[in-house]
Amino acid sequence: MSLDYVKFANGFEKFMPKEYRDMVEHGPFGKKVSVSQMGSFKEILEEHPMCAGCAMTLFIRLAMIAVPNPEDTIMVGTAGCGRLAISQAAIPFVYGNYGDQNGVASGLSRGLRLRFGDKPKDVVVMAGDGGTADIGFQQVLHSWFRKERFTTIMLDNEVYGNTGGQESGMTTRGAVLKMAPLGKKFEKMDMLQMAKVAGCAYVATVVPNNPRRVESVIKKAVLIAREVGSTYIQAYTSCNIEYAIPTDKVMEDAKTVENDRYQFSEYVSDEAKQYLAERYGYKEFLPKPAAPAGAIPNKA
Amino acid sequence: MYLVADINVEICAAKSCKLCTQYCPEANTILYSEEMGKDKGFKYGSAYVAVDRCKGCAQCVWVCDNMAKNNAIKMIMIDQLPKAALTDNITYGEKSTTAVLVSPTV
Repeated sequence: MSLDYVKFANGFEKFMPKEYRDMVEHGPFGKKVSVSQMGSFKEILEEHPMCAGCAMTLFIRLAMIAVPNPEDTIMVGTAGCGRLAISQAAIPFVYGNYGDQNGVASGLSRGLRLRFGDKPKDVVVMAGDGGTADIGFQQVLHSWFRKERFTTIMLDNEVYGNTGGQESGMTTRGAVLKMAPLGKKFEKMDMLQMAKVAGCAYVATVVPNNPRRVESVIKKAVLIAREVGSTYIQAYTSCNIEYAIPTDKVMEDAKTVENDRYQFSEYVSDEAKQYLAERYGYKEFLPKPAAPAGAIPNKA
Repeated sequence: MYLVADINVEICAAKSCKLCTQYCPEANTILYSEEMGKDKGFKYGSAYVAVDRCKGCAQCVWVCDNMAKNNAIKMIMIDQLPKAALTDNITYGEKSTTAVLVSPTV
């Protein structure tokens, strides 16, 4: 894995599609790009078969821009809508059996460390709420308890959207869905608390109606996972089909849900704070300078 | 026929907030050109839509109307657009893109 894997073999350039040539020449590989530059460079993500106006697609698009070193990243996913877009990007994508994505990522992450040593190779798991909290729950929790060093991102659309609308563990209580007509009888699973209990070094919730925040959260999570431990991001990515949200109201819904149950929250362990400050210069995590001796404390 | 997003260059080049480029769920569909408003005397460039990639969700319209409050994007039937950008006619530069506008329907 290096920058060479995206380049053309000698003599093949003229046969490659325009999109591929644009990506090699004007893509984000080997340079830093941010969401503020969107629309002026060729993105890693290509055309994909996901529904029009899907918030999950927007989140995946932002995530592809946010990963710090796309040329040194491998994405792992599982069954669900997300893989339809994640697989259409110029980042290697491993498609696990349903629910085993965190097990696959554990082995992959360890193997890459054996092969490449200190050179950072990032493994990012992106799976839906069914893959993470229901069917893959056991492997997800075990990978966190083992402090496997990779990032887990849950694309939480609060439903099994790909199979017609069954309730998942992340569906909110009382939600009536096409394949759950009586309404869900149990509370939404609190995966954030579980991640903290299981010892994740970084836990955050995010909604894609704030692209800069999505970028910053994913960057931090991937960097911390390089050395400190497991990181977990839970993103609300509504399913406008199963929840019947008009496509032009998807961001309005994201805002409503953000105010209701998805307020931005971020937990960073002390070790991760120190690592980000020392290694990557994150100023907000630098230790506050002690007040000089003799200074008069401000009175409220 | 189907609807695609159409950005009013005169309103967009006067504001140049670039929010729609960040909120479109499709990659490389709403692009930004620094030259697009310059020929009409505007200080900034403008965003434009590669109509062959637009799925017509109108999320950009909501973002432009409610977040940026510019009202520069409208949904238009593709055969009503005299000229539009297509992926094949877009060239990427260092910090911007340029597009040759052609008729989207043959």
